[in-house]
Amino acid sequence: MIFIDDISSDNIYNILSSKAVHRACRKEGMYMRFTIEHLVKHFEKKEVLRDIDFTFESGKIYGLLGRNGAGKTTLFNCLNKDMKADGGNFYLEEGGQKRETVPDDIGYVLSAPTVPEFLTGREFLKFFIDIHEDKIEESKNLDAYFDYMSIAPEDRDKLLKDYSHGMKNKMQMLVNIIAKPNLLLLDEPLTSLDVVVAEEMKQILRSLKENRIIIVSTHIMDLALDLCDEIVLLNHGVLDKVDKTDMDSHEFKEKILAVLRDERPID
Amino acid sequence: MNKTFKIAYSLKNTYRVNTILYSLKQVPVLKRLFPQELYRDPDYKIFANIMSGIWEFIKAFLGKFLYFLIMIALAAGFCKTVPERQTFLHIFVILTLIGAPTNTYIFNPTKDKYYALILLKMDAREYALSMYVYEMLKILTGYLIFGMIFGKMSGLTIWQCLLLPFAAAGMKLAVVAWSLRKYERTGYAVSENQIGVRGWILIALSLAAAYGIPAAAVLGIPVIGNCVLPETVSAAILVCGILGGIVSFRKIWTFTEFREVYQQILTQHMHQVEEARRSVKRQSEKVIQIEEGAGSSRKGFEYLNELFIRRHQKILWKSSKRIAFISLCIMCAGILGIFLFPEIKGKVNHLVLTNLPYFVFIMYCINRGTGFTNVLFMNCDHSLLTYSFYKRPECILKLFWIRLREIMKVNLLPAFVIGAGLAALLYLSGGTEDPLNYVMLLISVLCMSAFFSMHYLTIYYLLQPYNAGTEIKSGTYRIVVIATYLFCYGFMQLRMSTFVFGLGTIIFCVVYCAAACVLVYRLAPRTFRLRA
Ligand SMILES: Nc1ncnc2c1ncn2[C@@H]1O[C@H](COP(=O)(O)OP(=O)(O)O)[C@@H](O)[C@H]1O
Ligand SMILES: [Mg+2]
Repeated sequence: MIFIDDISSDNIYNILSSKAVHRACRKEGMYMRFTIEHLVKHFEKKEVLRDIDFTFESGKIYGLLGRNGAGKTTLFNCLNKDMKADGGNFYLEEGGQKRETVPDDIGYVLSAPTVPEFLTGREFLKFFIDIHEDKIEESKNLDAYFDYMSIAPEDRDKLLKDYSHGMKNKMQMLVNIIAKPNLLLLDEPLTSLDVVVAEEMKQILRSLKENRIIIVSTHIMDLALDLCDEIVLLNHGVLDKVDKTDMDSHEFKEKILAVLRDERPID
Repeated sequence: MNKTFKIAYSLKNTYRVNTILYSLKQVPVLKRLFPQELYRDPDYKIFANIMSGIWEFIKAFLGKFLYFLIMIALAAGFCKTVPERQTFLHIFVILTLIGAPTNTYIFNPTKDKYYALILLKMDAREYALSMYVYEMLKILTGYLIFGMIFGKMSGLTIWQCLLLPFAAAGMKLAVVAWSLRKYERTGYAVSENQIGVRGWILIALSLAAAYGIPAAAVLGIPVIGNCVLPETVSAAILVCGILGGIVSFRKIWTFTEFREVYQQILTQHMHQVEEARRSVKRQSEKVIQIEEGAGSSRKGFEYLNELFIRRHQKILWKSSKRIAFISLCIMCAGILGIFLFPEIKGKVNHLVLTNLPYFVFIMYCINRGTGFTNVLFMNCDHSLLTYSFYKRPECILKLFWIRLREIMKVNLLPAFVIGAGLAALLYLSGGTEDPLNYVMLLISVLCMSAFFSMHYLTIYYLLQPYNAGTEIKSGTYRIVVIATYLFCYGFMQLRMSTFVFGLGTIIFCVVYCAAACVLVYRLAPRTFRLRA
């Protein structure tokens, strides 16, 4: 795909592909699917997720596109089991084997970055690696991780409470990808970042998609089109894939807009 | 204007109805009784509307009834040296003068005004005037009825009674008109809640004058006591109030810039509310102190914990040490007292042997448990609970034990000082036949401290009351906290031999801690989550 070319020249990609992140515990090249079946969630009488039925495949970045309040965050919360779904189920399929997701399968980067304010960046990273020691086989020097995320050396030993929004976001992203989750959920990841950081993040995400499923929620269409391999619309509580074949990008946008605009009452 | 009033009033009512329903839903038992779609169900709406009506009625009448009864009539009744009606008028005049600028209705920034004017963009002048007229009518009727009743009881003439409601309304009108004029001159609108230092001093002085002068008269201090306003002066001020109101009415009625005024008051107010909310989080971040060097050789959760304790020294260990130090001083003072005045020995001995229940409340007061769990959440769990590894059952339990150990350590220091101090006091004040009493004193105080540490950490883990916005969202948690207070307060009434009570405490604490451990083990992996 286009992405591969324009990243292979990029040193971020080199660091990543050459070192630990790729080689670790997962069997290389394992094809994986994540299936959601008839997921339902309502708040009081309001049905936010009506019937989510979809299969995601590894090696792709999915753009979960939906209007404000469509239920993107709710869907992620259900998948991360922060919220109990009212019906339906979801599972991972690896080499033909179905299994329930366990917390370690999922990395979830929230839209508002939350990091423990009383630790420094380095301490947080060390703590995280300590906890996941058994899963990170080839542990890198801590600075290598910071380099990879382009967090400046002078910031690494500052308390996280003094980090900027973008830096907190990077820290959150970093600890989420160190654990090498099979499923990486990112809720509105780039919406409030400056252009430089946003571009760095995009590169990182693209370099991570090998062997895992990445789902990026956003309400910004251009971002979804730019970053993602597949566009999935969350509209009126259901998920729909938008077929991109034989359409130029303008037609494609128009089609998405038409679907999202369609104001059926939700009940 | 009539229509505006109807809309504004029903908006205010809706807001209040929803507030009532929301607060009812916060009570754990009632929560089950109400259906999910509470806000839409017409029956509950009617119920809440009735509640709202009752509330409005209570506010209009019961409030004024109590005001006249307690603040004025009863207070005036105490002062026998001056004619009662003179005191009545004296207090009424001064309180009304304070009330006029601090209770204007128009300049009170409330949520319903914000919704009506900023969000719904209703006509500000019509809104302000119609609601104001309504409030004024409430005041007039309330003051007319109760002014008449209590005034008559205090011996006021009918004319004096009639002055009261109109003077109160008149003064309010005058203040509003004055504020509006000030706005026209300066362009700044000031909400009635922005009183400022000078305002507070003035209010304090006025209150002192309202009650202090009659009190001085009772106590027989003529220099001050003679300053009770003579009836004619009071009456004159009231008449001035009425005249001022009449003159001011035109100003208010013809004022056209209500929108600008409200825009300023309300946005300022919302900004302050928002600031206050955010500053809670910032306050708790402020207590984090970073030290030089000092790495940690530990790993994983022990590492996290060590850094947490070290960076929160100030609010955890410093205050614990301070309490221990103060306790030590008090104990030393007690011991010194025994040496200096040997005659109190018997009393002290008796006190120590029968008043141990008192120490439940004292231990409750000095326990750092809530402070600890609060800062745990604000600075640590609030963020880490969003990571899935942190919510794995074995991690939750592991951290629970580490934290239990820490909070117990923090609390044991003052507890040890108090327990040992009590034992020493007992020994020095004559001792006891049963040496087990010394052990009992020390151990039971230590047990109480352990109990409170366990208790706060347990309810934090089992009820995790905060949401992601760091607000307490659990009604159950609130109730448990209040119940704990009442429980401990109740022990102050109890007198029991130290031996029996100490034994009871120790058994209770052991049983409680065991039960709490089981509960945490069973439930915490599920309950220790961020609230939605
Ligand atoms: N805890 C909650 N309680 C009640 N309603 C909620 C809750 N969380 C979300 N909702 C509602 O669910 C809908 C979807 O919200 P959300 O998932 O945050 O949307 P998105 O992330 O797509 O903007 C919204 O209408 C919101 O009001
Ligand atoms: Mg969202």
